[in-house]
Amino acid sequence: MLNIAALLVLIMTVTMSGQALAKVKVVATLADLGWIAEQVGAEDVEVEFLCQGHRDPHFLPAKPSLTRKLKKADLLVYNGLELEIGWLPLLLDAARNPRIRPGQQGELNCSMALGPGEILEVPVGEVDRSQGDIHPLGNPHYLLDPRKGIAVGHLMAERLARIDPEAGDRYRNRAENLAREIEARIEDWEARVDSLAVKKVIVYHQQWEYLVDWLGLDVLGVIENRPGISPAPRHVEGLVELGRQQGPVLVIAATWDHVEAANRVAEKTGSVLAVLPASTLAMEEATGYLAMFEVICGKLEVAAGEGP
Amino acid sequence: MPIPVRTMIFLIIMSGLPALAIAQSSTLTGASRSMNPAISVNGLIRGQASRDNPTADLNGFKLDGMEVQFTSVVDPFWKANFNIGMHPAHSHDGEDDAHAEGMVVHVEEGYIDGQSLPGGLGLRIGKFALPFGKHAPLHMHQFPFADAPVAIASFLGDHILSDTGAMGTVTVPVPWYADIRLYGVSGEAKPFDVHNKNLAGGGRLTNLWDVSEDATVELSGSYLHGPDARHPGESMKVDMYGADLTWKWVSSARTLGPALHLTVEALLPDYEEGEGDPWGWYALAQYRFHRNWWAGGGVGQADAGLDHHEEAPGHEDHDHGLEGDLREYKVNITFAPSEFSALRAEMVYYQDKVTMEDDLRFIVQANFTIGSHPAHLY
Repeated sequence: MLNIAALLVLIMTVTMSGQALAKVKVVATLADLGWIAEQVGAEDVEVEFLCQGHRDPHFLPAKPSLTRKLKKADLLVYNGLELEIGWLPLLLDAARNPRIRPGQQGELNCSMALGPGEILEVPVGEVDRSQGDIHPLGNPHYLLDPRKGIAVGHLMAERLARIDPEAGDRYRNRAENLAREIEARIEDWEARVDSLAVKKVIVYHQQWEYLVDWLGLDVLGVIENRPGISPAPRHVEGLVELGRQQGPVLVIAATWDHVEAANRVAEKTGSVLAVLPASTLAMEEATGYLAMFEVICGKLEVAAGEGP
Repeated sequence: MPIPVRTMIFLIIMSGLPALAIAQSSTLTGASRSMNPAISVNGLIRGQASRDNPTADLNGFKLDGMEVQFTSVVDPFWKANFNIGMHPAHSHDGEDDAHAEGMVVHVEEGYIDGQSLPGGLGLRIGKFALPFGKHAPLHMHQFPFADAPVAIASFLGDHILSDTGAMGTVTVPVPWYADIRLYGVSGEAKPFDVHNKNLAGGGRLTNLWDVSEDATVELSGSYLHGPDARHPGESMKVDMYGADLTWKWVSSARTLGPALHLTVEALLPDYEEGEGDPWGWYALAQYRFHRNWWAGGGVGQADAGLDHHEEAPGHEDHDHGLEGDLREYKVNITFAPSEFSALRAEMVYYQDKVTMEDDLRFIVQANFTIGSHPAHLY
């Protein structure tokens, strides 16, 4: 009888310690979100992400192997605003993981961290695909404003605390620390860009709006004026003419953009092309979310002729 | 029998009453639209000229096909997908070639998928594409060339291979991605005798390896079994074996950058009663050389495996007039200015090694999608 009781105690101890040690499995769609989840979750979570930083997140091939990550996830964190609409629904269906289905505790749309009016470029009036492959819910590239990264960190902490209540305070404290760290860097980044002599930019794709809104830059125009559609030569020529008239300008493109077109605009306007990381790990030096902004500011300084 | 006008009016009024009741208990603007399914329409328009065959069917312009798709979550337990296809009537739609006119409308797929089954099991119930090989489950607007390879068209049909029943899916716990799909269906698809009450069934083992961040290799095998359509009402069986190998590479360096897809597939039908050793195969390559441009090439064969000049039973009604050993060679170029439209120019050379007849066809095709169309499987 005593042996049975001892065995039961042993089983319960092993089971409970196993539960205490079990980490929350987080799958992030983007490298930025994966990095934030690692900061907020630290040793309480295991983080994987689906879209490598150097790949355009609009066009991730929905490889079945990615469903293996989703199958075991306790929490899926994704950008939202239909950035991942071309591949995430397919992967979710194929993963058949009820914990992360829409509406479940394990599904977190990080755009929910944005307050009223914080989503930029929400289309007004009639929307159709003659305007290109536009996002009807608004521009989804909000993570290029580090202040939004802070809000996402807090949102993740609250959701992780619901999934793993015992570590709730740890998640919230780490999100606070992350916020303080980002805020401290924001002042420096803003000051560096504010001191640039060139404030007008031409962007390749409409994904830098949150960045230029935060840094107070002025967008003269977009090379790919209809998202997802190759720009017409007449539009590009008009943009070049505008750049010449309004110059000097900086031309900004992401690493995965068709840089040749952006380079032609830069050459014809007599300006410099700045190829920037639009995601954590998009470039070798952009090793984390904070490092990405450091690289962005550094490359803007170089393009404006004020960097090292 | 014609319905009297007054009866018709009465029925129309009565059918509208339930909707009226719903509207009165709903929002100020009418019944809620927020739960409407995603709806899309695909259209395919073809222009074609045949060097050697003067029939109107192979020359001129035609609406090649249209598909209307509805997709939505049903409730916490099911997700549904319906796909209604319209295409020009063919002889195998139940009409003689001479009388095949107009368009045929049929449900290509209409199924529900289980969303919360234990153990990550998948369950699909309804009419669905049978997972046999890489090409047979495709809708027409997904075809890499204007027509299905002759091997697929001859043995599995020139449209999507779909049937009604149930299918279970389980992921295999191995270091690479692998799943097994097993299904039982009523036997409505082209290879099966639709009048036979015996069920058909089959399965597929899919294996996929990530050989790099940008490239995958898939090696899979398929099998199906059912009453043989070539012997209606005689309870003869057909077993079909298939194997396919696909290498996909999509550069991650650029948005819509270079991509290369290579597919080889072989089919081996085994008829309970029939002469010869039929088999077929094809190999296709597609290369995206610019963000909006694809080039493709393919070869294939459908061989009835009979002695020369001996006609293959059941093959007399297919689209390409296959009688014995048909070869195909095709190239195309596609301009896709967006994800929702494409223009294709194609040249296909067919040669029958038994009759020594051949044909050279030139095809142009426009493909468009409107509405909210779900993304395609990898």
